[in-house]
Amino acid sequence: MNVELISYGAFFLTMALTYAIICLGLNVQWGQTGLFNVGIAGFVAIGAYVSALLTTPDTAGRIGGFGLPIVVGWIGGAAITSIVSFLIGALTIRLRADYLAIATFGVAVVVQLCALNLEALTGGPFGIGFIPRPFAELAATQLLFSLANFAVVALLVVALYFVLERLARSPWGRVLRAIREDEPAALALGKSAVGFRLQAFAIGGGIMGLAGAVQAHFIGFIAPDNYVPMLTFQVWAMLIVGGSGNNRGAILGAVLVWAIWAGSAGAVASIFPPGEQARAAALQIVMIGVALCTILLLRPRGILGEQSVVSRHLGKLRRGFAAPAPTEEKTENAANT
Amino acid sequence: MNPQALMDGLIAGSMIGLGAIGVTLTYSILRFANFAHGEFVAWGAYFALAVAGALGALFSGLLTPIGPFSFGWALPIAALIAIVLNGGLALLVDALLFGRLRDRRSSIIIMVMASFGAALTLRSLLEFTFTSKPAYFTTALQIAQPLGGGIRATPDQLLSLGVAAVLVIAVHLLLTRTSIGRSMRAVSENVQLAGVVGIEVRKVIRIVWLLGAALACVAGISAGLLVQIRPQMGLDLLLPLFAAAILGGIGSVPGAMLAGLIVGLSEAFAVQLIGAEWRAAIAFIILVLVLLLRPQGLFGRPE
Amino acid sequence: MMEVVKPVVLSTEGLVAGYERDLPIVRGVDFAVRADELVVVLGPNGAGKSTFVKAIAGLVPVHSGTMALDGADITAVPAHEKIRHGLAFVPQTENIFATLSINDNLLLAADILPKERRAGRIAALYDMFPDLSAHSSRRAGQLSGGQRQMLAVARALIVEPSVLILDEPSAGLSPKIVAEVFARLKEINAQGVTIILVEQNVKAALAIADRAVILVEGEIRHEGTAEGLADDPLVAELYLGVRHDRAEVSP
Repeated sequence: MNVELISYGAFFLTMALTYAIICLGLNVQWGQTGLFNVGIAGFVAIGAYVSALLTTPDTAGRIGGFGLPIVVGWIGGAAITSIVSFLIGALTIRLRADYLAIATFGVAVVVQLCALNLEALTGGPFGIGFIPRPFAELAATQLLFSLANFAVVALLVVALYFVLERLARSPWGRVLRAIREDEPAALALGKSAVGFRLQAFAIGGGIMGLAGAVQAHFIGFIAPDNYVPMLTFQVWAMLIVGGSGNNRGAILGAVLVWAIWAGSAGAVASIFPPGEQARAAALQIVMIGVALCTILLLRPRGILGEQSVVSRHLGKLRRGFAAPAPTEEKTENAANT
Repeated sequence: MNPQALMDGLIAGSMIGLGAIGVTLTYSILRFANFAHGEFVAWGAYFALAVAGALGALFSGLLTPIGPFSFGWALPIAALIAIVLNGGLALLVDALLFGRLRDRRSSIIIMVMASFGAALTLRSLLEFTFTSKPAYFTTALQIAQPLGGGIRATPDQLLSLGVAAVLVIAVHLLLTRTSIGRSMRAVSENVQLAGVVGIEVRKVIRIVWLLGAALACVAGISAGLLVQIRPQMGLDLLLPLFAAAILGGIGSVPGAMLAGLIVGLSEAFAVQLIGAEWRAAIAFIILVLVLLLRPQGLFGRPE
Repeated sequence: MMEVVKPVVLSTEGLVAGYERDLPIVRGVDFAVRADELVVVLGPNGAGKSTFVKAIAGLVPVHSGTMALDGADITAVPAHEKIRHGLAFVPQTENIFATLSINDNLLLAADILPKERRAGRIAALYDMFPDLSAHSSRRAGQLSGGQRQMLAVARALIVEPSVLILDEPSAGLSPKIVAEVFARLKEINAQGVTIILVEQNVKAALAIADRAVILVEGEIRHEGTAEGLADDPLVAELYLGVRHDRAEVSP
């Protein structure tokens, strides 16, 4: 096996695992709590920009550049994103389910706008460069550098996985599940559904922010273009493919979809002439979009399956098209007799 | 303050309002926030562009401008055909995606997610077919006529405003005075009882899609006529559409139009104060304020 | 007095129904109602009374068995078509459109009639329920509980159905209002509308009914004339959970 291949493999997996972190964050919000976030790109961007501001060296013409250690940047990115998530959640979680979706979509739009226009803080359309990379001193040896980076991200993913698994099985996780499965019953036990959901949304958002920060330091350069709705879409595809509610599925889905994405990008690039690349990229999104909708239709529980606790939630009807034709169809309507 | 902002705001607001009526109707009857609605605006504009282009190529006489307007008969004819095509597109998406999810009683949030996937697919299809380069119905320049009070408007702009006003009144009358309007209000309140009373819910759903797609098409054509046509135009409109639908109160047609005008005017005046680059943030601020102060909207009932 | 046997209007045979395929709530019900009868369906909580009538109305999936109305099989007829076949259903809760005006509620129901009959039928119903005609432009949500029931019944009668099914019309009403509502139902029945009534309010229901069936665990366990059942202490204690009291049940 040659060195370049291993090096590329490490690079590929590191990238995929940063998506896995976003996916784990989304899994806390959606898989475990049923909160729909359409603004993932915005939350990831907040983490990335905060960490970049904290850790880059002081730059002329730009506020910030505090030159702090990378770890401080990561923690800061996660913390600020978590706070923003909390505020958005506090605004919408007690309202209709899809108001949260609309509000998170708004967050993504506004974050994109700030990244573009607050040039003094974000570098505007050109973004922020020279973000310190972990193990920069190893950069001379490509292989060692790639492997070290991969090791850090992999360790982070494993650590997060165990923390989240523990959390899901803790009393906190059980209350969350209880609220989602049967809100009135949980409320009768004196649990504040809004409070628990809010905590889950903030934790999930914080993890997304962390992922953004890690990604920024791994690539070394960020710009508003990295945080478009496409990113949100990719992460959703990853979680749906992996099976929501399942942390292992979230990680596996991220690697799988990232592989398909990278592979199809290569295929599309080689098939279409250079002048048609932009069109080809659009076609790639069409294919992924169709795939996502198809999965929702055919395997709403994910290709790799999910933990049983979520299945009820996904198939559940919340007040709506309850007038069935008199055929044998399964519903979960409360029998009313 | 520049009085011209009033005119700009009214024009942008009327387009937002037309789109928001579609959002509010699908929301109240199908019970989910349709993230793909903005794409119907964009597709409507491109349908009209393609048909008008074909008509112009076949009968060049149709390109001669009508009276004071910048376009020939090709555009109004294309608009009618585009409305039909856009309605067909909405029904197709419903048959392929939303209808199937409804039949298996998927939760609201699965519908929202599916609409998000549909939005990206539809938008990227436009980008693939027409590329992301802006397109225009006509390249003719129009002189804005003074209307008094320091306000100027082109004939095209005044026509768009007029068409929007007529459509809003028509939809309002349809909902309040006709039997199909009563059926729509009934389904929006209680689907099961609507069935018991003898309303065919599927038919009502089809009409809602057709109506929403038609209004979106007109909004898209107006936007294309007055600004430009881009595959991203639906995405850019989405937040203002949602803000207007929620501000107006879900289910309220006059509310959606009034709120659309409020959003459009706020954007226009804010642009004067803080610069055009922040336009997109205005809808978000309005959305946050509504959710904070009056989540049921102007004309909505508290839950 | 000569008893004329009237034809069967509505019947079910071996009806099995329920929301879940593997969990039937109604388990093989054979049931028939003759023209002009007022039949009450009784039974303990959870017996499947409400599911039974909802299955007839097309709101609960039927797993097996058939149902017929005026001799025609209506098993596969979707809910919104049943009213066109002459089967009107009044659900227990949320049985009117609260955000629509009283007049719109009635117009909505009249929409399935031929145009020329609509105005006449609405006028006839307003004659029958003067309370409603007095506030016809008011939002239905502003009506009192008893008036809401009357609007729901009026809405169902617009199309002159051959059978009217009501799911617990007395729920949530005060005894005085229940008496009024039931008196109106008896009048409507006397005018030639066949009525099926699901009730928890056993005494009031038996007082107006001709016949009763008792549903237990999704099956008909007992049926008979209203007087006969009211007089049967065993039935009262076994299935209805009420202390038998002759003086109160006699009409």
